[in-house]
Amino acid sequence: MNDNPVNETNEVKEPTKIEKVAETIAERFPEAQVEVKTNRWKRQRVWVRIPREKYRELMDFIKKLDGEAHYSIGIEQDWGDELGFLSHLVVHYKAAPAVSLIVDVHAPKDDPVIPDISDIFPIALQFEREGMEMVGIDFENAPDKRRLFLPDDFPEGIYPLRLDDKGVPDEMVKNAGHPYYLKGGARK
Amino acid sequence: MTERVEYWVKIPFGPIHPGLEEPEKFILTLDGEKIIDVDVKLGYNLRGIQWIALRRNYIQIMYLAERMCGICSFSHNHTYTRAVEEAGGIEVPERAEYIRVIIGELERIHSHLLNLGVLAHDIGYDTLLHLTWLAREKVMDTLEAVSGNRVNYSMVTIGGVRRDIDEKKRRIILDMIKYYREVFPQIEEAFLHDPTIEARFRDTAVISKRVALEQGAVGPTGRGSGIRDDARWSERLGVYPDLGIKPVMPQDVTGERPRGDVFDRMAVRIGELYQSLELIEHALDGMPDGKIKAFPKDNVLYAKLRLMVDGEGIGRYEAPRGELVHYVRGKKGSDKPLRWKPREPTFPNLFSVAKGVIGDQVADFVVAVASIDPCLSCTDRVAVIEDGKRKVLTEKDLLKESIRKTREINPEIKGDPTPVGASCSR
Amino acid sequence: MPMDAVTGLVYPVAGLLGLYAFVSLVSLIWEGIDRKLVARMQRRIGPPILQPLYDFLKLSSKETIIPSTANYMFRVAPVLALATAIALLAYTPMGFTPILASRGDVIVFIYLLTLISFFKIVGAISSGNPYAKIGAAREATVMVSREPAMMLAIFTIMWRLGKLGVPKPFSMGIFYTHNIWEIGTPMSFVGAVILLYVFCVWLASEIEVGFFNIPDAEEEIAEGLLVEYSGRYLALLKLTNSIKAFISASLVVAIFFPWGVSGYLNLTGFSADVVNLFFHALKVFALLFAVQSVFRAVTGRLKITQAVDFLWKNVFLASLVGSLLIAMEVIM
Repeated sequence: MNDNPVNETNEVKEPTKIEKVAETIAERFPEAQVEVKTNRWKRQRVWVRIPREKYRELMDFIKKLDGEAHYSIGIEQDWGDELGFLSHLVVHYKAAPAVSLIVDVHAPKDDPVIPDISDIFPIALQFEREGMEMVGIDFENAPDKRRLFLPDDFPEGIYPLRLDDKGVPDEMVKNAGHPYYLKGGARK
Repeated sequence: MTERVEYWVKIPFGPIHPGLEEPEKFILTLDGEKIIDVDVKLGYNLRGIQWIALRRNYIQIMYLAERMCGICSFSHNHTYTRAVEEAGGIEVPERAEYIRVIIGELERIHSHLLNLGVLAHDIGYDTLLHLTWLAREKVMDTLEAVSGNRVNYSMVTIGGVRRDIDEKKRRIILDMIKYYREVFPQIEEAFLHDPTIEARFRDTAVISKRVALEQGAVGPTGRGSGIRDDARWSERLGVYPDLGIKPVMPQDVTGERPRGDVFDRMAVRIGELYQSLELIEHALDGMPDGKIKAFPKDNVLYAKLRLMVDGEGIGRYEAPRGELVHYVRGKKGSDKPLRWKPREPTFPNLFSVAKGVIGDQVADFVVAVASIDPCLSCTDRVAVIEDGKRKVLTEKDLLKESIRKTREINPEIKGDPTPVGASCSR
Repeated sequence: MPMDAVTGLVYPVAGLLGLYAFVSLVSLIWEGIDRKLVARMQRRIGPPILQPLYDFLKLSSKETIIPSTANYMFRVAPVLALATAIALLAYTPMGFTPILASRGDVIVFIYLLTLISFFKIVGAISSGNPYAKIGAAREATVMVSREPAMMLAIFTIMWRLGKLGVPKPFSMGIFYTHNIWEIGTPMSFVGAVILLYVFCVWLASEIEVGFFNIPDAEEEIAEGLLVEYSGRYLALLKLTNSIKAFISASLVVAIFFPWGVSGYLNLTGFSADVVNLFFHALKVFALLFAVQSVFRAVTGRLKITQAVDFLWKNVFLASLVGSLLIAMEVIM
């Protein structure tokens, strides 16, 4: 929705509450990279990249910022040489544009340990369980390390969403893709 | 406490159970009829969607996202599209935004009517189930007339929508609105003022606001517990603010303060039925003329996406069941996203209700699970691959088996069972 | 002596077998009519009227799976339940004095009626399935809550009718000599109406429809008591359930609407009994239409605690009031 060419940018603009949140975080955590990105329909999001040592502290800070902060998703991913865990939170949603806050934390693959935050946001535990089984991040002190989605007899040490050799090997994959056209189709 | 432990019994509730529409396992710890603890085991519906998505391009994933779940197929597709649009900085024509609203709200109506029916069925009130689903047929027909399909509408594409709503379709939708203006008051009367429903749903599976916040409950589940949030509203999504969106709370419908029980969640849904009708009406009135897609052809879109998508994007949308989030990360020059992850509203809601139902009776469990309108096939979308050690029959094996059986029954059979058509490679 | 043997043994046995055949057929047909009627109320087309009969035949021919956790009672219970139901037919008033009517047989009637539920419970517990056990616990709970109201009411009615002078007090045949509406005082009329309500609720809970579809709750505990049964045993249990519904409704019909039509047709003896039996079946259908079809179309199921509350605090209380009203002028 970019059809109303506003010239607000020329005026001295009052910082939105999204920018205020970004500022507060940047002040409190100088080591964090805080960025406010605006998408094409004028929606601002705060993207925070935080070193894992400060991750718990940041989450605690967000919880104190808004006691009703909503932890909406935890995304585990393979960045190549690092594993990442990205969380999306909705803060200050009492009035209409809520603050959409994205917290990214990385850990090197040879030491994939990220602190657990399930005491701050209890639902995060379930996303962490998913992260543990899917890419093999180790959430330190997570109270429940059982598998969530994968069956219990799934082999250890294989993480389906890893892009390196710890991912699913070819011989484990049976007929993935279209079932009929692999290796000669149904006639074979 | 320790003396009583020996009377506790653990029973599996699912994966296959007549009260659950989809396979999912709950392990209930019971003391007689009282529920002491609930453990959730997911994954009985894993189709490896994220793993498959690592091998698909942006356009193919639209169809994959749509097929995660039948009921909220529009929502997944829409939210995924939003995430890609954000990552790629793609602009959507205004008319397309209005059409998205219309289809989204039609989907909400059909999903909510479905859930109301299921709720009634779970307390054995089958008359209401059948009558609600009879009313639902109208919106299904409308969706079919507008999009061509009853379930997977394929209306959204990256940068717009695929099909326009012309005068004829507009009349069909207006017709539907007229029909529902008569039917919804009857549905409201049946659900909000029935003594049996009140007896079964009031103070059942109470999710307190604290638990809802802790477990991140979203959608009607969160609003039923008093969390005033609606992703369409708090995200200022598309043209929704212009159409006058606001979160529907239980007090708007029942007039009482929210208690977080099954009844409140149901009341929120009934309120949203009316709201959806209004939104559709406003959207039909306010729809401007113009383009419906940013890129006229899919091959142009494919080429553009390769160049434009660079970085991360978040899509947030209020699916009928609650806030839906999709995350897409892409790299310039690649036609595939490096990471795509959806998070369905059922995921946090399931854990909220598992906490909320503790202390209630077994009889309440099914109602409690139905009250969050679970979409378990959405929830189980993560990768799974057959373990080499286990014998797992794939579609190919099953096809082979069924061909063998057919030949066994009738050796004279003619025809070639091998399907035709091109497909994706691994 | 041979004549005595014929009248004392052959006639009752033949009558019982005839009744068994008739009631099985009619109760299964009623099941079909009920399903059809409810389907129409729900704007569905519904199954054919003979569907329960087809189901019965189909189930009888299907494989019977016995769970490995089950003990021999699992297999015996359905047979015993059906046998009890057949025995019960000899004591059920169905338009004429029951075959084995005797002084005090109401106790046998109630005993046999609860015995059917008891066998179902025993069979369910023996299956080893946790859902069946929950169902059994629920069945037992509902049973002890619903029967007192009925027993109090029926004993009061029997006792009060006995005061009008009958050869065999406390017999099920009593309803065809005197009926509850003949007592005559306004008080007793009000009492009878209240007791009619009590019996209707009791009937609904006996056949487990509407509010009381708790032990078999399909969506909650996967058919509860019946969860492990299949094949022949399921067929037997389904037939038992149908017969039991017919018998329970027969009791209510006999108490409140005992009038036959044979008198108007100037029939006597055997033919009168047959005509009355058919008329009785129609009355049972009418009653079950109200108590079963309509009730289950317009309500959902209660929780077990709510059902117990309702049965004690509402129905038992109503039974107490109704009984007092009926018994009042004799006591005072």
